[in-house]
Amino acid sequence: MPFYQKGDVRIHYEEAGSGSPLLVIPGGGLNSTVEGLKTHPFNPFDEFKGEFRVIAADLRNAKGGQSTGPLAVDRPWDAFTDDHLGLMDHLGIGKFMVLGFCIGGPFIWSLLQRAGDRVVAAVPAQPSGFRPEMPTLSYDNNMKGWGPELCARRPDTTMAMVDTFLTNMYSKRADFVYTASRDFVRNCQTPILVLPDDVPAHPYAVAMEVVHLAPNAQVSLYPWKDTPDKIPLAVRHIRTFLRANRPAATAQSIAAAAQ
Amino acid sequence: MPFYERGDVRIHYEEAGSGFPLMVIPGGGLNSTVAGLATSHPFNPLVEFNGDYRVIAADLRNANGGQSSGPLAIDRPWDSYTDDHLGLMDHLGIGEFMVLGFCIGGPFIWNLLQRAPRRIVAAILAQPSGFRPEMPDLFYQNNIKGWGPPLCERRPDVTMAMVDAFLNKMYRANADFVFTVSRDFVRDCRTPILVLPDDVPAHPYAVAMESALLAPNAQVSLYPWKDTPDKIPLAVRHIRTFLKANRPAPAAR
Repeated sequence: MPFYQKGDVRIHYEEAGSGSPLLVIPGGGLNSTVEGLKTHPFNPFDEFKGEFRVIAADLRNAKGGQSTGPLAVDRPWDAFTDDHLGLMDHLGIGKFMVLGFCIGGPFIWSLLQRAGDRVVAAVPAQPSGFRPEMPTLSYDNNMKGWGPELCARRPDTTMAMVDTFLTNMYSKRADFVYTASRDFVRNCQTPILVLPDDVPAHPYAVAMEVVHLAPNAQVSLYPWKDTPDKIPLAVRHIRTFLRANRPAATAQSIAAAAQ
Repeated sequence: MPFYERGDVRIHYEEAGSGFPLMVIPGGGLNSTVAGLATSHPFNPLVEFNGDYRVIAADLRNANGGQSSGPLAIDRPWDSYTDDHLGLMDHLGIGEFMVLGFCIGGPFIWNLLQRAPRRIVAAILAQPSGFRPEMPDLFYQNNIKGWGPPLCERRPDVTMAMVDAFLNKMYRANADFVFTVSRDFVRDCRTPILVLPDDVPAHPYAVAMESALLAPNAQVSLYPWKDTPDKIPLAVRHIRTFLKANRPAPAAR
């Protein structure tokens, strides 16, 4: 069970397969873990390890995960993005593709903002976003489903800290995809494939707004997971998208030979 | 204006761009023409894809408004058109190719996959035609009115009795599914397929989705994808991605 460590941050990750790197960000909100991928509509490890180097990590401080680190109260989104980019650095990976479920949507936009030259293509699947008719949904969910358990196992963490963290993460950024502005999305030239959803935390309206704003975006069929027979159609779309956007094999082999 | 000729068949075609060949079959039923791509289609593949591919499209044999002509193959209507598609590729010295077909291009693509599976690398069926049980005679009726009379008028060798026999064989003799192949064929077809469904009378959504769910290597676009102009680029990007992912590497050609 490999770990990436940097200071007091310790991130559990797993990888499988070889080829162009594909960072997978599991869903599950702040309780996003590698283990959770088994309960997702499909498991990217199973689907893509035959062609890609698939990497996924437990989110820092996720319940049921093995990753730990400080509660970065002043920069919640960026702290997680530090971990994603730090893990890629640790693995010696420069450019990569990213596939993120749920909370992986906002994380992807944070990655594109922080490291746009490293993220070659991105797939937000059932992405999270702000829903005006349920403005405190993410704060409330995590105050109940993430904070108390974290405080119970981490004496250095209090519910007051959790409140501040979630306020900075969700309440103070209560719009769109939380992490990036519409202007940023409008100017983002990276190829994007969105697989919309429409449960409370995954608003269809935000998913489609992103798709229409981003100049190089495309979208899957919808709905794509209401019946099991449609999921393979969406997975084939993703596979096609990854194949079309991975860095050229010749460039990779030249780089490998140089090493 | 180039033509491919073989015996008494004369097919007008156009091409644009260079790269791996992409054959485009315009929609418009039996009046499918290259000119129609610019006027009546959600997007024009000759414009969208000529930067990366050698895009080739032809007027259907005997289409009204087109420049292609040939005998009315009453005993083998679908196959006679497929002869023209494959013959044109032969004429251009093209072995493997990808194909993108609108409307009637759907049944034509399945026929191409049946007749020349090793030559078709990948296929895109946009707003494909298919049989709609609640309107079982739709195609016969549309063509006996919209295609047969102008054809007979300009071709003294063709009578409405011949048109009737041709359309009977084409649309009534095998009135099911995609007209040209069986569900078993689709179920066993390993070729990468991208379907862009529609749901006007001649383009049943049910058949588009049935073929997408049967074909083991199929995928499907968003739907609807052309009800508002802002969605069409999303579908075109999906197609471009699909073409790029499936074209053979240059070294392999």
